[in-house]
Amino acid sequence: MLSLWAVSLVSTPARAAHELLQLFVTQPYLELHTGPGRGYPVTQVVARGESVDVLFRRTDWFKVRTERGVEGWASARELTRTAMADGAPFHVNMGDRAGFASHRWEGGIFAGAYAGATLIAAYGAMSITDNLKIEVGVSQFLGNVSDGYLADIGLAHVFMPEWRFSPLVDLGTGIIRVEPKAILAQPVDRSDQVGYVGVGARYYLTRRFFVRGEYRDYVVFTKTNANEVNEEWRLGFAFFY
Amino acid sequence: METRIRLLLLSIVAAACSGCATMHWPWHHPKTDAADATTSPDDVDAPPPSVIEPQVERRDIKVPKIKVHNIELGGYYGELSIQDFGAQPVTGARIDYHISEDLFFEGTYGRATGGKTSFEYLSGNVQLLSNAERRFTYYNLSLGYNFLPGEVFIGRNLAMTSALYMIGGIGNVTFAGDQNFAVNFGAGFRVLPTDWLALHIDVQDIVFKSNDIGVYQLKNNLQATIGATVFF
Repeated sequence: MLSLWAVSLVSTPARAAHELLQLFVTQPYLELHTGPGRGYPVTQVVARGESVDVLFRRTDWFKVRTERGVEGWASARELTRTAMADGAPFHVNMGDRAGFASHRWEGGIFAGAYAGATLIAAYGAMSITDNLKIEVGVSQFLGNVSDGYLADIGLAHVFMPEWRFSPLVDLGTGIIRVEPKAILAQPVDRSDQVGYVGVGARYYLTRRFFVRGEYRDYVVFTKTNANEVNEEWRLGFAFFY
Repeated sequence: METRIRLLLLSIVAAACSGCATMHWPWHHPKTDAADATTSPDDVDAPPPSVIEPQVERRDIKVPKIKVHNIELGGYYGELSIQDFGAQPVTGARIDYHISEDLFFEGTYGRATGGKTSFEYLSGNVQLLSNAERRFTYYNLSLGYNFLPGEVFIGRNLAMTSALYMIGGIGNVTFAGDQNFAVNFGAGFRVLPTDWLALHIDVQDIVFKSNDIGVYQLKNNLQATIGATVFF
């Protein structure tokens, strides 16, 4: 058993080395920094024709190992000028305007107001197309007479994803839980289903960042005869990946 | 004379034979032009017989995926000064998502237990809050900015990347039986002894408005913590 474990320990680095992506320098040289940032000094260069193994990525920086076993950080921009083993240029998903127009994931945090109560919210979205996204959100609102939580799922449609300022509409459903403050006569917790429709816009800032603002109308399907309609606005920072 | 007759006979036979070739006899089917057209290009374009037949199948090259380590997950421990309720130990969990080399999102959740106010100490047996109400829990959603990235050196051989960051955000504080909208801001220092481990020192102020003593007051709760996180 022990020997098996020892064999697996020995064989692991070889297998791991095999699975690393190998890139060949096609420019005169590739600069390697000491850390994942533009300010870190360049202490190594890799000459044209030599290769590096890509160990992992952190933000827009890649930790690589040279043929001589020296490790360093290369920027994504520099690595786009390298080639893979079959000669095809290496493509990197960069944080830029093109990425803003077309990406797979996004997420963000908001502050705002729900029915007059202070709102804190977070959301995540997955793109089906550049225009259409599935969104999931959670929020908490803190009011004078009641607090509560809201979880929702919906579809968002971005009209001109390639525009820096791109409007969007969304539609969805969720569950709201209202917790009236103890000072009320009948402090009964209440959970209800909600539906919402919203209109908003997003504005590209820099790299992977954008600002998103939105106005939503919520219909709370209460257990009483009349449904409630509540307004919400929210503004926050978001990123895409 | 003989040779003349022989020549005459030979020329007659020759003329008759060539004439037969040009005549269209009913049993004679010459090749059609169409047949000529289909057969002749094939003969021209046909590849020469190869010596070695290539049997190698084209390989599908699978490009190895690059691992992405942008998420930090960990915990922290320190001291939280709850306004009017003394400085108390605080423990918390944090998750960071690095978006660029400069900016990151952070979510934290922490808890502490408030002590006694000066009034409670001085007036003997008075309890302003129940034990459950003294529990101070909070969460924050923040945006951080690595404004002083750099390196830390220990001795001659060890260099570690580091960053001094500013952080600010919004969140919620539950204290004294009430939930309050809170704003947090502060600064921290992160150092990475290895590529996957980070150590943190953080100082933050968690501010919220509360009326737990009957008057609306702005409460400042200063927090100093040390922590460790692992990159995923």
